[in-house]
Amino acid sequence: MNKELLTAILDELIPPSADGRVPGAGTLGVAAFFADARRYVPDPVGSAQVIADAVTARTPNFETLDGAKKIAVLKAVEQDHPEPFNALVQLTYMGYYSRPETRALFGVGVHPVHPVGYAVERESEELLAELTSPVRARGTAFRNA
Amino acid sequence: MTKNEPVDVLIIGAGASGAAIAWSLLETRMRILCLEQGPRLTDKNFPSREDTYELKRYGDFSCDPNVRGLKQDYPINVDDSCITPVNFNAVGGSTINFLGHWPRMKPSDFRTRSLDGVGDDWPVDYATLAPFYELNDRNTGVSGLGGNPAYPDYTPELPPIPLGKLGQTLAEGFNKMGWHWWPSDVAILSRDQDGRQKCVNAGTCDLGCAAGAKGGTNFTYWPILESAGVELRTECRVREILVSEQSGLATGVLYHGPDGQVHEQKAELVVLACNGVGTPRLLLNSANNTFPDGLANRSGKVGKNLMFHPLTGVAGVFDEPMRGHEGPMACSILSQQFYETDPDHDFKRGYGLHAGRSTTPMTYALGGFGVDAPIPWGKEHRDIMDNIYPYLAGLTIVTEDLPEEHNCVTLDPELTDSDGIPAPKISYRLGENTRKMLRHGEEQAAEILLASGAKNVLPKGSDRVWWRAGWHQMGTCRMGHDPQNSVVNGWGRCHDVKNLFIVDGSIFVTSGAVNPTSTIQALALYVGDSIKTNIETLFD
Repeated sequence: MNKELLTAILDELIPPSADGRVPGAGTLGVAAFFADARRYVPDPVGSAQVIADAVTARTPNFETLDGAKKIAVLKAVEQDHPEPFNALVQLTYMGYYSRPETRALFGVGVHPVHPVGYAVERESEELLAELTSPVRARGTAFRNA
Repeated sequence: MTKNEPVDVLIIGAGASGAAIAWSLLETRMRILCLEQGPRLTDKNFPSREDTYELKRYGDFSCDPNVRGLKQDYPINVDDSCITPVNFNAVGGSTINFLGHWPRMKPSDFRTRSLDGVGDDWPVDYATLAPFYELNDRNTGVSGLGGNPAYPDYTPELPPIPLGKLGQTLAEGFNKMGWHWWPSDVAILSRDQDGRQKCVNAGTCDLGCAAGAKGGTNFTYWPILESAGVELRTECRVREILVSEQSGLATGVLYHGPDGQVHEQKAELVVLACNGVGTPRLLLNSANNTFPDGLANRSGKVGKNLMFHPLTGVAGVFDEPMRGHEGPMACSILSQQFYETDPDHDFKRGYGLHAGRSTTPMTYALGGFGVDAPIPWGKEHRDIMDNIYPYLAGLTIVTEDLPEEHNCVTLDPELTDSDGIPAPKISYRLGENTRKMLRHGEEQAAEILLASGAKNVLPKGSDRVWWRAGWHQMGTCRMGHDPQNSVVNGWGRCHDVKNLFIVDGSIFVTSGAVNPTSTIQALALYVGDSIKTNIETLFD
């Protein structure tokens, strides 16, 4: 498979942030995830190949197109090949967000969540009493039966 | 076929209810054996210690058995259903991947026919179950805040888990509206107890709790039970319950062992604890000359009246990050403002508004926890993940499901599990009452989110309920006094087979609108207590 082409496709599925701080999926190397992704999608490499071939059939120089033209090509391919395209989207999201360093960009911990987890302060008894006092004040809220 | 030494009590299923009734029967000193189709897992097996933990949600730790497709999982034909059942097969059953939300059912839930003219009344009531709720809470470890005006008075043993920013924000919104809310009761430890670690707010309760903070029976009941001599055989799948044509009593079971062989296990008393899909499946697969339509099915109710809790969600976008991935994922606060029947509504009974937390980036991008609908690709994707995802808080509308006979579990004529046993088929559609509740709930949820400070409420892409909402499987072997209209009596004994008991969610008469595990286990303890009370005349 043409690596440059696949990188360009994936960079359109999840593009980089406008400030360049967050890389797109292709540049991040998400394509490498596909080879080990059979547990999640029946034929990950095959799905990517179908889409790459369909893109090439529409335009031999996808990588050099401007952004709007790339998106137009991909939308047409999505319409023609919905199943493999959806599989490619799913794989791209999985490959992208399964990278610990990507999670951090969205405020989520890089670390595995056990054993450390997250420090979340428990509300004080006073705060809980204050928050719940209007609810208590309204009295019983169930039917005896 | 190999035969084993007979036991006094044979329990099928090592999940919530099987463990609870085993504990209740310990003091009888009867020989108790439990057969579990899944394996044993330790905290080391749970994915949350791995860098790529989120991926496991789409593989071996999916809540959907049709996605997992492991040897111990039975497939379920869901072609004729708008909701797919979810579960887990291991020691602990679905308490491995449940979310630990622990509300009790309410007094009116047991009297819906008398109070509201829908469903049926239960043969037990809240007051009868209250001591068993309390006992089970002690065995499980429950955190929460006493004094909830939506319930008869009780106080959870441990202080509540943190509401967090998300929970506090929504609580203030409920207060502005003058609506009920309360910190959720959870089967999750807010401090270390009984050798188990308190919750570390990992936010991945569905992937098994590697801290042991969540009250799965793998961490609560089973260590005690095995120490006390209860035998637990894993990777043993029961294919049929055997019944004597002479006595009409169950004599034991045939099961597939890990050696690939079929074994016979004799028992004096058989207890089914396989959940609301697995139990009717096994009874239907145990048809014989005496019970041609399925074991214990003279009423024709085995598999009928399947109830879920249909769900939908509404999310709002706030100005500040809500940090919704931090903390137990389903549990922050629960509003029961619209739980009871209200003559001003166009539906009977009601629903809860659950402020769960949001989820991790991959799961959100792929459509959320219960839905297969990835968010858009391209620039819109970038915008959603950067500018919406971190700022989200949502409410889940969890509706009461009324019993309807056409919603049912049957046997699929072709599909089988890895041992060749016919698989269940689900036929389920939403009732009109439920649709009205969902619409009402969406409107109220949007109102609360705006009152809480949301800049806007996200439009819903469709009016479909969550696909993977079949956590709570109830009603398929209902309790009742009348053998013509129910499968088990008021304490779980099959009307048709006097030494066969059922203790899982299938014996529910109505569903309530709360997560059922607390009630399932309280009922299992109640059934166990009734067995002990009636031991002299148990099979009369």
